[in-house]
Amino acid sequence: MVELVEVTKAYGEPGGAGAVSVLKGITLKIEPGRSVVIVGPSGCGKSTLLNIIGGLDHPTSGHVLLDGRDLAGLNDEELARIRNRQIGFVFQLHHLLPQCTVLENVLIPTLAERDGSSRNEVRERAKALLARVGLEDRTSYRPGELSGGQRQRVAVARALINTPKLLLADEPTGSLDESTSQSIAELLAELNRDQGVTLVVVTHSRELAARIGHVMELRGGTLRDRGQS
Amino acid sequence: MSLWRLVTRSIGFYWRTNLAVLLAVVVATGVLTGALAVGDSVRYTLQKTLEARLGQVELAVLPQGRYFRAALAEDLERPLGGTVAPVLQVSGIITNDDGSQRVNRVQVLGVTDKFYAVGPGAVGRASPHDVVAWASRPWIGDHGQDARATGEDGAAGVVLSEPVARRLGVAVGEEVVLRVEKPGLMPRDVPLVSDKDRTVAFRLKVQAIADDSTFGRFDLQANQASALNIFVPLSWLGEQIEQPGRANMLLAAHLKSGVLADQMSTAVKRAWQLADAGLELERLSKQDVLELRSRRVFVDESIGAEALKAGAKAQGILTYFVNEVRLGDKTTPYSMVAALADGRVVPADMHSDEIAINQWLADDLGVKVGDSVDVTYFVIGPRRQLLEQHSRLKVIRIVPTDDPACDPTLMPRFPGLADVNNCRDWKPGIPVDLNKIRPKDEQYWNEHRGTPKAFVTLEAGQRMWRNQYGSLTAVRYPWRQGLAEEIERHLMSSIDPASLGLFFQPVRDRGTQASRQGTDFGELFGGLSMFLIASAVILIGLLFVFGVESRRGQIGMLMAVGWPAKRVRRLLLAEGGIVALLGTIAGVGVGLLYTRLMVYGLATLWSGAVGGAQIYFHVRDLTLLGGGLGGLGAALVAIWLTLRTQATQPAHQLMTGSSEDAFSRGIRRSRGRFGVVAAIVSFVGVAILLRMMPTGGGEATAGAFFGAGALLLVGTLGLSHAVLRMAAVGWNRPMVSLQGLGLRNAARRSGRSLAIIGLLACGVFMVVAVGANRHDPSKEATGRDSGTGGFALYGDSSIPILHDLSTESGRKALGLAGQELDDLQVVQFRVRDGDDASCLNLNRAQQPRLMGVQADALKQRKSFQFTATVDEDQEKKGWGLLRMDLDKGAVPAIGDYPTVSWALGKNIGDEVEYTDEMGRPFCVRIVGILANSVLQGSLVIAENEFVARFPSVDGYRVLLVDAPADKVDAVAQRLSSGLRDYGLVLTPTGERVAAFGAVENTYLSIFTVLGGLGLILGSVGLGMVVLRNMLERRGELAMLRAVGFGKGQLKRMVFYEHWGLMLAGLACGVISAIVAVIPAVQSPGGQVPYLSLLVTVAAIGLSGAVWVWIAGTGALRGALLDALRQE
Repeated sequence: MVELVEVTKAYGEPGGAGAVSVLKGITLKIEPGRSVVIVGPSGCGKSTLLNIIGGLDHPTSGHVLLDGRDLAGLNDEELARIRNRQIGFVFQLHHLLPQCTVLENVLIPTLAERDGSSRNEVRERAKALLARVGLEDRTSYRPGELSGGQRQRVAVARALINTPKLLLADEPTGSLDESTSQSIAELLAELNRDQGVTLVVVTHSRELAARIGHVMELRGGTLRDRGQS
Repeated sequence: MSLWRLVTRSIGFYWRTNLAVLLAVVVATGVLTGALAVGDSVRYTLQKTLEARLGQVELAVLPQGRYFRAALAEDLERPLGGTVAPVLQVSGIITNDDGSQRVNRVQVLGVTDKFYAVGPGAVGRASPHDVVAWASRPWIGDHGQDARATGEDGAAGVVLSEPVARRLGVAVGEEVVLRVEKPGLMPRDVPLVSDKDRTVAFRLKVQAIADDSTFGRFDLQANQASALNIFVPLSWLGEQIEQPGRANMLLAAHLKSGVLADQMSTAVKRAWQLADAGLELERLSKQDVLELRSRRVFVDESIGAEALKAGAKAQGILTYFVNEVRLGDKTTPYSMVAALADGRVVPADMHSDEIAINQWLADDLGVKVGDSVDVTYFVIGPRRQLLEQHSRLKVIRIVPTDDPACDPTLMPRFPGLADVNNCRDWKPGIPVDLNKIRPKDEQYWNEHRGTPKAFVTLEAGQRMWRNQYGSLTAVRYPWRQGLAEEIERHLMSSIDPASLGLFFQPVRDRGTQASRQGTDFGELFGGLSMFLIASAVILIGLLFVFGVESRRGQIGMLMAVGWPAKRVRRLLLAEGGIVALLGTIAGVGVGLLYTRLMVYGLATLWSGAVGGAQIYFHVRDLTLLGGGLGGLGAALVAIWLTLRTQATQPAHQLMTGSSEDAFSRGIRRSRGRFGVVAAIVSFVGVAILLRMMPTGGGEATAGAFFGAGALLLVGTLGLSHAVLRMAAVGWNRPMVSLQGLGLRNAARRSGRSLAIIGLLACGVFMVVAVGANRHDPSKEATGRDSGTGGFALYGDSSIPILHDLSTESGRKALGLAGQELDDLQVVQFRVRDGDDASCLNLNRAQQPRLMGVQADALKQRKSFQFTATVDEDQEKKGWGLLRMDLDKGAVPAIGDYPTVSWALGKNIGDEVEYTDEMGRPFCVRIVGILANSVLQGSLVIAENEFVARFPSVDGYRVLLVDAPADKVDAVAQRLSSGLRDYGLVLTPTGERVAAFGAVENTYLSIFTVLGGLGLILGSVGLGMVVLRNMLERRGELAMLRAVGFGKGQLKRMVFYEHWGLMLAGLACGVISAIVAVIPAVQSPGGQVPYLSLLVTVAAIGLSGAVWVWIAGTGALRGALLDALRQE
């Protein structure tokens, strides 16, 4: 599903005195339906790695292959289409649109590009997803009327609206309390298990890592397999 | 969910930001629409004025100093099928009953019902019987015939136009005294025509007051100021001024479509009669001849030439009044001498230095054949100067006094001579010393009347007495039956009536053109509102981008979930577009209010800009659409420009961080080198410009200074840019003060900071640079090279003055005496009325007033300052240019800059087409342009050129009077009272120039007000920037609080930063403006409004300071530490 080949990422002039190397030749292969948790200390480059996997950032060198397709050869439009159709994102800050209802927020990705489904079908799918995350009775609420956990659930539903094969979550529980974090972790694990969505989660939460599955640690710019949690 | 829904949700959710954007769009659209609508209103006013002054008149025969049959109008109607109204127009002066109120230069119009038939719509369309409102004109009967010239109570009646009634303060039923010009049979400049009894006065009862709807505004000239009209019955006026049944103007309306002036003139050719040319054919039975004479005494050259060809054995005659015939010490006073070629008394072989005399004269002088006699006679020079001339002629024949050649009918009908019984009653237009008249002379007059006592050849006579009005007094043909008809046919077919002034001119087309090409107030107000509009547009951009920037996270999220950046920008553009559209709709409505406000301003505070004209509010749908689209377009461009830089950063940066990284990268690339280079180049440019400064002042110098100021502005802004960049990265020394921190902060977003400095600097520069150009021309009124030409008074008379006011004899002839007039120097101008080409006329003058002057009078004085000439030759330079020989027969002309450039839209070397009084087109070429002057509104040509083209325009109506400073008041009083009957109005030249200058100053005032408003709006933008800066840095401010900064300290830091930017902007603008306005400050008439400029700059500064304070205080209010915790 996802394959990283010798991926490096450096900031500053390459080879320059002030250059900082964040990722140092990371090679990783994630099979479809698998779930991977990337842990590591703050500032080690976890989010950078996730952004590179999701096509939000470009590696300094190396390749990222999604279903065997090298993302480096794609322009911004094509990357946007891949993000829209094949990848779902869950961010630490949910970035819900305060002006829209919960249902509308879930539907936002569908406005970027239609997949051939009718409006009704898409709406039903969104409602089903909201039911799946336990918010079927909150569809007409505004984000401002929801709790932090509920907002993050909406963000998860939004990430799944286009039925992506790959779900990337960057510190999805970072700003949540413990019990809410647990419920979000369970939700992600269920999605991976029940729907076969490939899941890559970046976190420094050991609890979350423990619930998801295969743990890899990013330290000093390299990735080490810590095995199944 | 749909895009539309997302857009509307966003608009509603961010309503505060959107409302601010909307209000800025409202301002931009409102001001733009308002400016365009002011243009509409002025155009509409000009169009309305055109309708009011011309009614339905399309073509007109203009007064050319000749009088034709009023019945010619009817003769023309039949073939043309339209309406032709005859009008008799003369100048006049009117006073109220007790003489306490007086209006000079009124246009007295003798009219019939036809006049109202060609009037404005309502009057013109209605049958005269149906016009109830016009019932107060019982003195005008039907069918062009005046039933009676009196009101019901028997008093003679008059209708006043509304402005005349207002100025006199009279109402219907009250009495007025009207003094009108009595034109006489021929121009007053004709030799031997009396200059006495030139006016005639009447006490009349006001029958009605005519407003615009009743043709009270009638005027053939394209002026928006109301004409001062007096209406009386045509036949009554004709009787009073001894032009019965005659008219000098024809107004044609309701013509078949496509009838042009040329076709009308062709119709005139078919319909005219000899009487229309003032010609008459009379059979003289005793002499058995048919004689052709002119009512104007002298037969026009062109007619005379044709008349000599009209019949076999035609004999031209020129009879003249000579002062004396002398032989030695014997003289015979005041005699007629005839020049002819009869083949008998004056045989073909007679020489031009020979004379034949009658026996009576021979006896009186004791002359024998072979003696030489001296003949003395007057000819009339310019300003009616009597030039006494002599001719010595050898007597070759003495004819019996009863010889048929001694024919009393040879004397033309000189007024004052031909119609008196006793020669002691003679009143010719020359001084006659009655003491010289002996009893035998009286006896000769009694027995022989004006029988010539001597005869010379026609050639000799014409050499001595030919003048601009002709060289024959009669043409005689041997009588035979049917000859009169033959002669008439010949003359009518060979003479072009246009040469007699009988030609139509396209007055409506000209008027329409004048109003269409008139001052475009839409453009003008657009320009004057430039800063207001620009500020509003900048504000739109600022507010919008701030709104967008506050949603960076959303933008990042949308991009992360697969929205292409373009689509995100389109979404935001759609949001902004809808807000802009709503703002535009509201703005158009506000624009209408703004227009009303501006129209009110033009009626009150700024009335000087429109010459005091009443401006009617009028807006076209197209203007609303244009203003709306313009506002919308400007808003969309502003939004689009700000959106271009949005959604360009990676989605994850937008979601998680600030744009500081990109900012820092940009800063590193430039350490302010660009600003330094720009500053150096600009300062070098300023130095070069100031070094190469043109000498002698004038507009070139002013332009150079303005250019230097503008360059200096660029330089100071470059310097500011460099300072900001250096403060950002170049200065490594720690800045440990609040001020230093403020500078670092200002440097952080140097683009934004520079925008604030630039906006304020440009605005202040323009407001100060333009505002400082206010001018009081009256302050430089004394110099001969000033706008007054060194003259103290400008005079304008209703009745032309024939004599030279600079000479004692001239003053004596006008009945002026007094010591105060001894050193009087007057330059007099002949005037051919035309459009007012001054800046007081909003119409584009088509044929401006033409004035004729003797160039030497002004050349010797070196009066007025030339700003441009076609020829730099010193000899010809200045007023000598009027003597240039130009190709294609063009007439050299001089006008002042506002006349040539603004009113006519011409430049040096350009031409203006005119038609002379003989209907011949000619071109006037601009050979010299004066600086702003008292002559504004007219083009000046040489007097000889003027007379050649307008010989019937007699005398001088405009005077420039120079008198010693201590006598000016006394001279003014003496001239005004002495020439009261001429309707002379004297104005101090300084006042007149100042009145013209007031227009320019009014424009400057409007600019200052609107520019100031724009700047205040710009300072609101400054407040927005401050607010934004503070909100962006809320976390940092919280940190500063956390590490122990007090709120007061933070406020001071914020104020140092932003007030610093504001002061930098003001300083850059003011310093640059000071250089730009050096010429204005140094100019003697410079009236730099230091106080108002200081107040304007202070107001801008204060407004900015207040906004900074409000924004800073607002941003620092609340729990800042919460922001830190959120971080």
